Amino acid sequence: MSYLKIENMEIAFQTMKGRFVAVTDINLDIERGQIVSIIGHSGCGKSTIMNAIAGMTFPTGGRVVLDGKEVKGPGPDRGIVFQNYSLLPWLTVYENIYQAVDAALRDLSKHEKKETVERYLRMVNLWEHREKYPKQISGGMKQRVAIARAFAIDPEVLLLDEPFGALDALTKASLHIELLKLWNLTHRSKTIFMVTHDIEEAIFLSDRIIVMNNGPAATIREVEEVHLPRPRNKKETVNQPEYIAVRERLLSLLMDKVAIDEKDFYKEEAAA
Amino acid sequence: MKKSVTLTTPVTTALMSRDRSEGLPFFLVRVFDVAGALIYTLLGFSLLTAIWYVSSTVTEGGLPTPLATFQVFWELVKDPFYDYGPNDKGIGLQLASSLGRVSAGFLLGSLFAIPVGVLMGANAVCKKIFYPIVQILKPVSPLAWFPIGLVAFESASMATIFIIFITSLWPTLINTAFGVASIPDDHKNVAKAFGFSKWKYLTKVLMPYSLPHIITGLRLSIGVAWLVIVAGEMLSGGIGIGFFVWDSWNALSLEKVISAILIIGLVGLLLDRGFSFVEKKFTYSS
Repeated sequence: MSYLKIENMEIAFQTMKGRFVAVTDINLDIERGQIVSIIGHSGCGKSTIMNAIAGMTFPTGGRVVLDGKEVKGPGPDRGIVFQNYSLLPWLTVYENIYQAVDAALRDLSKHEKKETVERYLRMVNLWEHREKYPKQISGGMKQRVAIARAFAIDPEVLLLDEPFGALDALTKASLHIELLKLWNLTHRSKTIFMVTHDIEEAIFLSDRIIVMNNGPAATIREVEEVHLPRPRNKKETVNQPEYIAVRERLLSLLMDKVAIDEKDFYKEEAAA
Repeated sequence: MKKSVTLTTPVTTALMSRDRSEGLPFFLVRVFDVAGALIYTLLGFSLLTAIWYVSSTVTEGGLPTPLATFQVFWELVKDPFYDYGPNDKGIGLQLASSLGRVSAGFLLGSLFAIPVGVLMGANAVCKKIFYPIVQILKPVSPLAWFPIGLVAFESASMATIFIIFITSLWPTLINTAFGVASIPDDHKNVAKAFGFSKWKYLTKVLMPYSLPHIITGLRLSIGVAWLVIVAGEMLSGGIGIGFFVWDSWNALSLEKVISAILIIGLVGLLLDRGFSFVEKKFTYSS
């Protein structure tokens, strides 16, 4: 039995111009401990699907079933890393994580909560920066705080909404490793669902990649399995034939519509 | 590469030294800044005094001269706390009494305005219910409220507090509602995703985000309260800076009236500065 299941899901919004169908006919089966990426062009509804799993948006048709129970709203079994870090600017790095832990893990004693915060801050190497405010740290550090916050509530599912989109390539690469490290530390038991528009990132991290069609009323175009061995490492993984093959397939799936038609150039030149 | 270095170095040093006034120590630069601002302020007041002097000469004593006024002003502030019975008290006592009423009305107004503002900002139904009332009552002159206050409290002093309450609460109410309504979805989503309790949402998201807006509202409100007190006390009589202005006018002492105006202005400025200081303290940048 699959762990996270989406059945015939459709999500529509009421807008000024009438009903807008964002995604439709979405069916997914995700095993426990898998890393799954969803990729597609902007506006294809990938974040909408993630929000439905998070319980922040509700399907207008079909349903999301997590561990045998239908998703009815947000819960501490799902940790979210938002697109723009979403740290509270008036709280320190430490407090940002502590307040989340305090809210999500109500059964722990105060001492246990503090221990949890410290453990995760150390894991992402931010213990020295715990007294700083979000505006005082770099984008990469903010994202590490956000990841630590999501992991710290010890959720079964991690939902990442374009988590590394705003970062430079080097920071991004080191955070990929850091994410996989955290995943390993929890014995790869956590299911990770990630929205991205970065093909390389998707291949490097995922077991499966879901490619979306363009919206409106976007559907799943194809599901690509990635059989790269773990642990993966940046330098070797990218040279493996499997990596190159998957990359080729994804490129042709995503880029066919944006290929430059050279004939147009010649026409313009002739006209000029 | 070499060329660009030789080109940029003089430019950057020139840019840096312009800020530092050609290498003066930093505190001296600061002293000059303050002194400069002071000179302009003095210049403005000299200009005002000159116009005043000319006006009083032209009206041949209809308007008291600056000198005569400053003598009276000095008499007033020299011994501000004397008390020769109910109709003759020092300016300090008058001010203290006015400030007491202003604080009472302002505090009551804020205690009402902040919670209602939070409700209006957080809840669309509350906004629909209260907003029309706010729009109708906000532009009403404080003096129009006075009879209502008299009927309700049967005391002129309480009525004054009432009109300060009812006219000074609007800026705080509107600013609080605006602050709460403009909490970004990102912050709300964090609270939702991690299951913040109502109390945690209030203390860790809503209040910290809205606080700068609320303090700006309070600053506007205290300004209104101080504006209203003079009119209120003119009607209520008894004691207070507003009553003092009216009493001085009846005693035909324009010198005292003008002195009172200066004092009212100075106190108003101090109140505003106080809140602007608090405002800066609570403003965070994201």
